[in-house]
Amino acid sequence: MTLHVDVKGRRFTVEVSRGAGAFLVSIDGRQHEVDVKEVDGVLSLLIGTKSYEVVVDGMMVHVDGVPVEVSIVAPRRRAATHAEEADGPQRITAPMPGKIVKLLVKPGDKVDARQGLVVVEAMKMENELRARAGGTVSEVRVTEGSSVEAGAILVVLE
Amino acid sequence: MDKILIANRGEIAVRVIRACRDMGIGAVAVYSDCDRAARHVRLADEAVHIGGNAPGDSYLRIDRIIDAARRTGADAVHPGYGFLAENEDFAAACRDAGLTFIGPTPEAIALMGSKTAARQAAMEAGVPVVPGTEEPLGPDVLDATIAGVADGIGYPIMIKAVAGGGGKGMRVVTSAADLPSAIRAARSEAQASFGDPAIYLERRIARPRHIEVQLLGDRHGTVVPFVERECSIQRRHQKVIEETPSPAMSRALRFRIASDAAAIARSVGYTNAGTIEFLLDEDGQFYFLEMNTRLQVEHPITEMVTGIDLVQWQIRIARGEPLTIDPDAALKPRGHAIECRIYAEDPDAGFMPSPGHISGLRVPSGPGIRDDSGTEAGADVPIFYDPMISKLVAWGDDRPQAIARMQRALREYDVVGIKTTVPFFRWMLDQPDFREARFHTAYLDELLRSRAGEPFTSADDERVEVAVIAAAIQQFLRPNPLNPLNPLNPLNPMNPMSAWRARARTEGLRD
Repeated sequence: MTLHVDVKGRRFTVEVSRGAGAFLVSIDGRQHEVDVKEVDGVLSLLIGTKSYEVVVDGMMVHVDGVPVEVSIVAPRRRAATHAEEADGPQRITAPMPGKIVKLLVKPGDKVDARQGLVVVEAMKMENELRARAGGTVSEVRVTEGSSVEAGAILVVLE
Repeated sequence: MDKILIANRGEIAVRVIRACRDMGIGAVAVYSDCDRAARHVRLADEAVHIGGNAPGDSYLRIDRIIDAARRTGADAVHPGYGFLAENEDFAAACRDAGLTFIGPTPEAIALMGSKTAARQAAMEAGVPVVPGTEEPLGPDVLDATIAGVADGIGYPIMIKAVAGGGGKGMRVVTSAADLPSAIRAARSEAQASFGDPAIYLERRIARPRHIEVQLLGDRHGTVVPFVERECSIQRRHQKVIEETPSPAMSRALRFRIASDAAAIARSVGYTNAGTIEFLLDEDGQFYFLEMNTRLQVEHPITEMVTGIDLVQWQIRIARGEPLTIDPDAALKPRGHAIECRIYAEDPDAGFMPSPGHISGLRVPSGPGIRDDSGTEAGADVPIFYDPMISKLVAWGDDRPQAIARMQRALREYDVVGIKTTVPFFRWMLDQPDFREARFHTAYLDELLRSRAGEPFTSADDERVEVAVIAAAIQQFLRPNPLNPLNPLNPLNPMNPMSAWRARARTEGLRD
């Protein structure tokens, strides 16, 4: 079986098959014999003689305590990946329940990538939410002092 | 004293419960709605619900905490740190209810809680304070008058709010020309934040180190100061790494600063545990900053280098026992200890809080390692409280060994489900300036600014490849999970991979 796995914009071509007791994995042409055991939610991988602890948490794969974000591009559906993120309006949402401390922009403002848009207080700390990319503020859906739920849309950029 | 109620939560509640156990004393926990299943509740002998999630509805409710002590027959209260620990009304309410408050007297809390009064006490004890104004400068004091005072102190100066804290109402002024606008800004911020526009001026110490002295005072007039802690690694005025002894102190300076700290404590008749904070300038001159009238977050590093259990001593002092600690031993550290405060924060998103469910937790251990944690795998980090989940402490014969052990422990530490500051610390302990102990209180903020958001969690090529292999094997198993030849069939309850695959299915590791 051939798969494509993306990490940080890098694409790996991986072939997986079963060997005698272990998996045979070829990654960009390099061959590995991989033995997998699970202990209470944690995977022990022996790749050759090298030992790794791996925990899979959704898209995050922790390797010896270091998280790596992976996305798998299934063989037949390669083109669909991340297509919906490429364009369209940017919706800045509350990452957790909190209170709006300060609005830094108003509708019509032009903003640059990483520019601060709104300051939210949660867990006794103030956090500035920033634009992922440049654009124009089309909507500000909250007012200073209001409380918001996690996931609430605060600001929309075109 | 048979039973102690701990008016706190998280790791410090766990720490105090452990001290109670070590001494054969019963431990009563209190909890808010969301903390019903928290670690401190399950470890305690008894637990009492005291209200809703907001601190104001639970951990700050003096009436309910006193009532919980009455209901359970506790005869003493330990406040931990934060919440009501430095609230003189709470200490007084305990006393009025016939409960022993494990901490200083309400009078000492009130006195040292006022910045100008504490400064006055230090000066009367003959301890240097940062040069500045003695009296608050109210709203009616003219800018011209303040300019005269500033000239006398010498630039650069700091403008601070008398009622201040947390950096609010604070301004640095480098020249007389900037003074009027800075006064205006500081006053309006102080008015908005504290309802009091009064300010005072202090000389700005350039590139200071934060040095503090832990001390214990008994009820018989004995005060014992301990070897200093250095807490200069701060992010936005919050300590993130502490160590002891300070790499910047000579033996002579250690004895001088310790005896000055003890002099302040004695002059106000201080009892129980407290910490006096100083700034140390580049010329080796130190200045009194403030006193914390409670047990500090970073107390374990002092315990590691002295072998003294500070929480047990808090309890013994509150029982009226005399201090029998050898004062010389308290000032002679054995080895070196470092603490990293592990927060549920995402260092790659500007240290934004990252509350949520801890689905997996691997805690380090081994030689020289102590992890004071308030949480565990399967627990939630609630959004309502301070997001610190653990204090990781490393001890070594000397500073390099302590750093090496901390690095090893940080590599073992894995928290799954939420983001933590562990990756930040792995990077931080590798910084040449940290390893050479060349830092001051603004060092970390300057260093972070210079990185301009470059990610901390950057996996090397080897780990990336392992992650790709693990993800690919998982995907390989997915198409035909019912294949009886597949030893990892998720429907088989004996299948060791079922938990992994079930989680992957629900959380969607797919395109």
